[in-house]
Amino acid sequence: MRRFGTGLTRRAPHSTRRRRFSTLMAGVGAALLALSACSAPAPAQQDFASWDQVVADAQGQTVRLWMYGGEEQGNAYVDKTLIPAAARLGVTLQRVPVADTKDALNRVLTEVQAGTRDGTVDLVWVNGDNFGTGQQAGAWSCGWTDLLPNMGLTNPADPLLANDFGTPVDGCEAPWHKAQFTIAYNSATVTDPPHTLAGLLDWAQEHPGRFTYPAPPDFTGSVFTREVLNSVSGGYQNVPLQYDQKAFDRLTPALYSRLKELAPALWRQGKTYPKTSAELNALYAGGQVDFTMTYGPAELTKLVADGTYPAATQVLTLTEGTVGNASFLAMPATSGHQAGAMVVANLALSPEQQAAKADSRVWGQFTVLDTAKLDPAQRALFAKLPQSPVVPSYEVLSQNASPELSAAWVPALDDAWRRLVLTGR
Amino acid sequence: MRTKMATPSPAGPRTWLPGTLMVVPAVVLAAFVVIGGMVTALAQSLGLFPLVGPPSLTVAAYGAHAADLPVGIALSLAIATVSTVVACVVGFSAALIIVQGKWCGKLVAALGTLTIPVPHIVGAASISLLLADSGLLARLFNNGGQWPELVGGPWWIGVVAEYGWKESAFVALVVTGTLATRAVSYDETAALLGAGRLRRLRHILIPLSLPALTVSATIVFVYSLGSYEVAWLLGRAYPEPLPVMALRLFNAATLTSRPEAAAVAILTTVLSMAAVAASLAYLRRSALWR
Repeated sequence: MRRFGTGLTRRAPHSTRRRRFSTLMAGVGAALLALSACSAPAPAQQDFASWDQVVADAQGQTVRLWMYGGEEQGNAYVDKTLIPAAARLGVTLQRVPVADTKDALNRVLTEVQAGTRDGTVDLVWVNGDNFGTGQQAGAWSCGWTDLLPNMGLTNPADPLLANDFGTPVDGCEAPWHKAQFTIAYNSATVTDPPHTLAGLLDWAQEHPGRFTYPAPPDFTGSVFTREVLNSVSGGYQNVPLQYDQKAFDRLTPALYSRLKELAPALWRQGKTYPKTSAELNALYAGGQVDFTMTYGPAELTKLVADGTYPAATQVLTLTEGTVGNASFLAMPATSGHQAGAMVVANLALSPEQQAAKADSRVWGQFTVLDTAKLDPAQRALFAKLPQSPVVPSYEVLSQNASPELSAAWVPALDDAWRRLVLTGR
Repeated sequence: MRTKMATPSPAGPRTWLPGTLMVVPAVVLAAFVVIGGMVTALAQSLGLFPLVGPPSLTVAAYGAHAADLPVGIALSLAIATVSTVVACVVGFSAALIIVQGKWCGKLVAALGTLTIPVPHIVGAASISLLLADSGLLARLFNNGGQWPELVGGPWWIGVVAEYGWKESAFVALVVTGTLATRAVSYDETAALLGAGRLRRLRHILIPLSLPALTVSATIVFVYSLGSYEVAWLLGRAYPEPLPVMALRLFNAATLTSRPEAAAVAILTTVLSMAAVAASLAYLRRSALWR
């Protein structure tokens, strides 16, 4: 009675506590079962003839954007820049923070299962396997991004925007920003920084206890294992983007034997791992390890400036490059405010918003727009952004960038990691 | 449990009925959520609510993690047992101090009352900020040496510490209520007849507070067995207690893992209900339970 206050309890598994069940109530349960068994069919999609109609319909709508809440700068950008701009367009935007994007996906899947037509999720910041899983379950509204006027400023041939971890985007999500997987280190303690991923693993083995990575299925830890897969396979060219069991059986033994060999030299002898990238960041901030890693290198500038990270933090540039991706705003099919959601997605794609977001003092997320398609005034917005003392430019970071493997690889690699590396010790 | 406690025992049949009626709205509301959730979880674990594909009755979800389940059950039971023992010992001692009524008793009562409304997730985050490798204490006292693995370590010390701290306040307040209303007069009588502190503790305070202690211990045990946030925040990646395992499977991007998550949740529920049944059976045999 006294503890049902935390918002998180509603996600708890239905193990029930402290109440004795009267037999009288069994009937209620049976009725509920009958109710949920005849759930409604999948919700229909709204059709709009023109952008003007979308804008007109959007007036006064409230759009709830569910996004990973662990990036303070991202939260501040949405609260202070995007929400006021949406309000000027007549749309009330609300940010719903989640600990993991999977929570938002699960909410959408539950609503799809229940046949909801006016769901609580109108937009999700998403990519990768979360997008792919939602696509399998028919959770996303599709074919709406062509209507967005600002989609014309992106390059339709850009492979990062056409495929999301190997799943064709098909107008089911609007691009928001690009990211590059980045490893950072403390140059005060690491005097001989490696230049390849294989070199990094060797460094970790020579310096026991000074390196670790988040345990997959954490997003960042999962990317790290895919980087190691590329490395032990002799480059990303040797790993087929589309998942197939034969390639998995051929390539992954080398991956897991390398990670198992590495484990005793990791933080806490590799008997356990940080469960989230936030935990790894805390270890790095506290000087317990010398490396951290992130898919959002933009945050590094502020974290170094405010003293959270050591002042000598540098980005480790690997000669073979790192994985890059784009992330998107997807609109669930269960959303009851699709016009409003489209207006927000279009606004988020505008050169003004993209440039504001690319400022490392604001959020520092790389733009998805094609600079060749911008007019001089719009290009000037990007040209006057300040250079970060920690993070090199996107051009440098994305050199030799490798594409993300298809979403089907991700759970297979994560499960095998759990089985072979985590429980094997 | 509620119905029984809401019914004053000396009352006749006339007063009994309205008392039960007044409790009905609360019971209906609670039962709708609790039983509804359990029935849905049971149906999902049996493959009747798949996210994709046609429903079919199967127990495959219960066998999908056969290798991890025994470890998970043992770990969950161990955490719940140790947390309950810690909470009961600390809570009972605190109750004794509170009943004394001196200034330190008032202080302990105030601390206990302040602890109750803190949500477990806030408690867990605080423990983590305090005891973790990069936590406050490690930074204050650890000059390059090895900080003990309190959070995320092999002995789950952070988890037990959080449950022990929060739940001892709960136990203390429940037991204080019993001691203050039932035990004080006996205690004073015994003292007047010359019984020493230890004898009064053994023959009066412990026996009289045993029913309240058993009830609160059951609540603590079942709660720490079924909740996930503390173990998730302060535990390690492997092995996992059952609720953490259920949540990981529920949140997995694989569509087929939801029935498996429901199966783990049902298993946790069965364990909890067995604990409640055992405790009720014990209480029924106890002479003080009326």
